[in-house]
Amino acid sequence: MLYSARNLKKTYNGRTVLDIPELSIEKEKIYALLGPNGSGKTTLLHILSFILTPSTGALFYNDKPVQFLEKALQLLRKEVVLVDQHPILFSTSVHKNVEFGLKMRDIAKKDRRRITEESLDLVGMRDFEWAAAAHLSGGETQRVAIARALACRPKVILFDEPTASVDVENQIAIENIIQSIHRERKISVIVCTHNMLQASKLAEETLFLFEGRPTSSIYENIFGGKVIMKGGRSYCAIDDKFLIPVKTDQTGFIKISIHPKSIKFASSPKNDASSVFYDGRISQLSEEKGWIRILVNIGIPLSVFMKKKEFDLFGTGIGQNVTVKCSDYGVEIIGSETMPG
Amino acid sequence: MDFFVDSFLSSLILIRTVDPALLNIVYVSLKVSLLSTLIAGAVGIPFGFVVAVTEFAGKRAVITLLNTLLALPTVVIGLFVYMFISRRGIFGVFDLLYTQKAMIIGQVILIVPVVTTFTITAISRIDTRYRRTAMTLGADRIQTAMVILREARFGIVASVVAAFGRVISEVGISMMLGGNAKGFTRTMTTAMALEYDKGEFVLAVALGIILMSISLVMNILLNYFQGRTAV
Repeated sequence: MLYSARNLKKTYNGRTVLDIPELSIEKEKIYALLGPNGSGKTTLLHILSFILTPSTGALFYNDKPVQFLEKALQLLRKEVVLVDQHPILFSTSVHKNVEFGLKMRDIAKKDRRRITEESLDLVGMRDFEWAAAAHLSGGETQRVAIARALACRPKVILFDEPTASVDVENQIAIENIIQSIHRERKISVIVCTHNMLQASKLAEETLFLFEGRPTSSIYENIFGGKVIMKGGRSYCAIDDKFLIPVKTDQTGFIKISIHPKSIKFASSPKNDASSVFYDGRISQLSEEKGWIRILVNIGIPLSVFMKKKEFDLFGTGIGQNVTVKCSDYGVEIIGSETMPG
Repeated sequence: MDFFVDSFLSSLILIRTVDPALLNIVYVSLKVSLLSTLIAGAVGIPFGFVVAVTEFAGKRAVITLLNTLLALPTVVIGLFVYMFISRRGIFGVFDLLYTQKAMIIGQVILIVPVVTTFTITAISRIDTRYRRTAMTLGADRIQTAMVILREARFGIVASVVAAFGRVISEVGISMMLGGNAKGFTRTMTTAMALEYDKGEFVLAVALGIILMSISLVMNILLNYFQGRTAV
């Protein structure tokens, strides 16, 4: 195992931001770490890159326990490099930025030059070698940061939202770079993202995090609302406007996740006890390995996931009006502010 | 008006003729001020760095104290140091009073808070990602500290320039601890004060022009340095 962890916790001022009972990450694979903002992805990535110490728990790297002592961590950092979400380049030339890690590893000047050039070639930034790092665009900065990490010849590269602040052109380029460094250099890669599409495109394995804890799948369509009773059934009232059926005996405010696969298109709305229907408009479509992800605006954005065949039956497209059906079996309570009443 | 023009023109002639007495005063001023700034930089920059990057109990109190010391009048420092180094003081045996060393001690006390607080501000403004980036790329603690110092260099250099400006223009410490001895501890500011007392304005104005010129040169050098290292 590349990494394994037991009861890994990180707390800040008494608030637990990461709580992982168990974690296993294999060598030479691309992993996607998926989760919404604030789910603890970055905290986990910082622990895995040995720049943050967990509050409690054990972390193993290459099956050896990690000693969270500065000397030991420094040695481990020579093998593991983190590329930040918004990487920062030192206020000098691109060349000196890429060369930095090599200097830290006491590589001879001649070799430093060669490795720096190779790394910049790999990310398509060789022409910018002697440019001032401060003058680069967001996408160029991200690519130089990747070259800087690559130059260190790491065994593991951790990317924190690598395409969060770049345009589509650079996004594609960066995804290709990640795939090629993994393929050609056998570098283990962990990519932290909240983009499902990117995760499915890049990763061989996916880890889901929600509110600091691992989950079996990513929570989507997360809403908060008050539990109300109507006709003997319970609903979560979102913005006092949208009633989502929910099986609960809780009262007060709850946080729910509506599973995208449980939401269906309906040709003839027929209310039943466990479902509600909403009219909406399709605002976005994308394909993910034979499935179609549809963003339907019903007043709130609802992500719907259905088989391509099923979607084709409705013969609909972007801008079209549809009726969607939400059923209580697809609604999971993922948090609450009051105890069951 | 004639009085002003005459004094100004005579002082320019004095500067142009490179008067040895004037040159000696400038030399003493620069020597004492540069040494004070050098020592204050060697103390204040590391101290400011440590205060900025470490969390410890009483950190706010230390910063408040340093900020208070920024407003310390030079005569108070002069008096304070005098009490220690005069013959009756505990360091009296070292015979420091009315020497350049005494002036340097006083001036260092004056500007260490300047360098320290400016360094704290410069380091605190540096993005935390620099530290994280240096660490993940394999830098040890000292190498990481050097990265942060490098990124904060404009602020730190500005603090040193400000400190130099403070000591070269102060008069209280130089007068009280140096004694304004001709050829030994007479600086530009103490000489100007003396000449003013005597009603002789030519040398005073000449020294004033040189003082302003030094300040201008320092700022030009600072700007040049910032422009050169912006890449």
